[in-house]
Amino acid sequence: MSLAFTLRTPPTVPLEAEVLTPARLAGLSAPEAAKLSVVHGNERADLGEFFQVQGTADGGGAGEFRLTGDLSRVKHVGAGMADGRIVIHGSVGMHLGAEMTGGEIIVEGDAADWVGPEMTGGRIVIKGNAGHMVGAASRGSAVGVRGGEIVVFGNTGNEAGHGMRRGLVAIGGDAGDFAGVSMLAGTIVVLGSLGWRAGAGMRRGSIVTMHPVELLPTFSYACTYAPLYLRLLLARLRRLGLPVADAQVSGRYQRWSGDAVELNKGEVLILEA
Amino acid sequence: MSENLKFVPHATCTFCGCVCDDMDLTVDMDEKRITKAENACVLGKAWFREHGIEQRPYALIGGREATTAEGVEEAAQILARARFPLIYGLSDTTCEAQRVAVAIADMIGGTVDTTTSVCHGPSGIAFETVGESTASLGEIKNRADMVVFWGGNPAEAHPRLFSRYAVTPKGMYIPNGRKDRTVVLVDVRRTMSTPVADIFLRVKPRSDFEVLWALRALVKGRRVDPSIERRTGVSLAVLEDLVARMKSCRYGAFLFGMGLTMTRGRHFNSGALLALTTDLNEFTHWVAKPVRGHGNVTGADNVVSWQTGFPFGVNFSRGYPRFNPGEFTTVDLLARGETDAILILASDPAANFPKAAIEHLKRIPVISLDPKTTLTSQLARVAFTTATYGINVGGTVYRMDDVAITLRPAFESPYPSDEEILSAIRDRVRALLGGNRVPAVAPAVAAAS
Repeated sequence: MSLAFTLRTPPTVPLEAEVLTPARLAGLSAPEAAKLSVVHGNERADLGEFFQVQGTADGGGAGEFRLTGDLSRVKHVGAGMADGRIVIHGSVGMHLGAEMTGGEIIVEGDAADWVGPEMTGGRIVIKGNAGHMVGAASRGSAVGVRGGEIVVFGNTGNEAGHGMRRGLVAIGGDAGDFAGVSMLAGTIVVLGSLGWRAGAGMRRGSIVTMHPVELLPTFSYACTYAPLYLRLLLARLRRLGLPVADAQVSGRYQRWSGDAVELNKGEVLILEA
Repeated sequence: MSENLKFVPHATCTFCGCVCDDMDLTVDMDEKRITKAENACVLGKAWFREHGIEQRPYALIGGREATTAEGVEEAAQILARARFPLIYGLSDTTCEAQRVAVAIADMIGGTVDTTTSVCHGPSGIAFETVGESTASLGEIKNRADMVVFWGGNPAEAHPRLFSRYAVTPKGMYIPNGRKDRTVVLVDVRRTMSTPVADIFLRVKPRSDFEVLWALRALVKGRRVDPSIERRTGVSLAVLEDLVARMKSCRYGAFLFGMGLTMTRGRHFNSGALLALTTDLNEFTHWVAKPVRGHGNVTGADNVVSWQTGFPFGVNFSRGYPRFNPGEFTTVDLLARGETDAILILASDPAANFPKAAIEHLKRIPVISLDPKTTLTSQLARVAFTTATYGINVGGTVYRMDDVAITLRPAFESPYPSDEEILSAIRDRVRALLGGNRVPAVAPAVAAAS
């Protein structure tokens, strides 16, 4: 049986709980897990002051645990995790899966800003909406996601994939402004609409959208084609549960090159109407 | 007017970020008011005229008149008990007071944020990402033969920026003053500043980023789609002409305001302008400076940076400084309802913050320090009346170009300075915490609460 955490006393101020990773909880009983230290505002507290803990953790680092409740003030869940699985029944706060290197996080609700900043591996799936900076570089850092996958079924805020270098960010709904800004490589797929200034300053990488979008004047039209890799990618996103239509899989895409202010080796693919 | 007059030469005006230090003040010492402010602009004259001594309680606690000491005790109890306290404002006080405010935030494991987060905070983010080619206003005065004002209206907001530094004054290498300069103004509408410009670029609202991005591409010799005119209101030919001028000047300066930093795109707008400045340095010398509003907001940036490593939005809850705008900036913290006490130093957020943030201000204990009655002081649990910096209080402030300037106060106030009150609060909080940084382990607080 895996550990299960149910939010009993919602924190009145932000709760930083980077202890909530499979590796940290491995082999712990419920009372031991409840004694783990978290930061509630400016003081340390026990996890058990906020959560009812049941079950026993799986042995080893590849275990799974569940969190239930409105965790929108609980930050850093799964930060730095390398393996295992976290399932969150509810919404979750900032910095979910920050710098994670492996494993999987499933969020049944919404996620706040900074989902998976600077992650290098693993997968994060958000069934609801996500805030700003999904898969982005932290402030002051030039490089964002370097690997792994982030899948958001709903909408995201601004700067999704900011500075990403590798990996995949897939958004089932709409993306805010500056998606893929300063992108170095990697792929962003937006099934809904792209916001303003997508791909600003991108050097390489791909941004895919299914709706018409007006790009910056430093992007130029290259051709219209049906890239094979995109069919494979969209088929995979469909398997992950995103609502990818047949017309999107088999469709032709306008390829726009940019950003001319930088290397001009990035591309924005827009599904032809 | 009485005959008991005092003359204060070379005083400093702390109304705006120009921090003009050539004020010659005449003070009526019986009435405790400034009767004449030579060299001051219209804003400076009003600043000096309106800051006499008002008859107000030293402190109010829950609307009840109190002594300063009683206010200090109440404020210290609030801060020592708080789990996520916030200290905000700082931009209209001395660097000495700012330093104490940062020390309190550190001691209570709180967050310190300044009005920078609602004005040039985006520029602060951009500086960290892009870098800054900078200069003093004196250097701009003496060297700049091309000046571009972007997203601001200095004629009404910083009148002496034109006359003292950037448009009309003669400089070491600008012997003919205005005649030797090309002045460009970029804005979404005509303002009182427009007639000053040789070239006025009227851009469509929220299209500054596209214009800057196109300029960057043109500077680099890259193609720009002609659709730029439809989207921004500025033709490709005009942009090409501007780029030719910018590349061929001897020394150029961008002076940019909140019309750039607080419109859609925010830190990317500032970053685009800073990157354009860097691009232009491939051809000739260009600098960029944000035009700052509050008298010592630049000092707040400097003091908070010097003490924490970051300019604003700094959190100490883990025992070390963390910087993350959006997470630790005041509007965001208040709107999300995450902070449980706030000390507001020389600022009036209740007058200009979003509704959700103001609603949370009404729910938590507020401590306010201000020379005047404000909307914020009216909803405060503890409201201190303070002396006005620059008029009653000496100390140090920073001009918008990061030059430190010493204040020469005109007359004394019966009210204590921000620094005095903050120092007393700091000492009392330290005693309540029993020398510990983390409030949870302080027995005095536990007993009091």
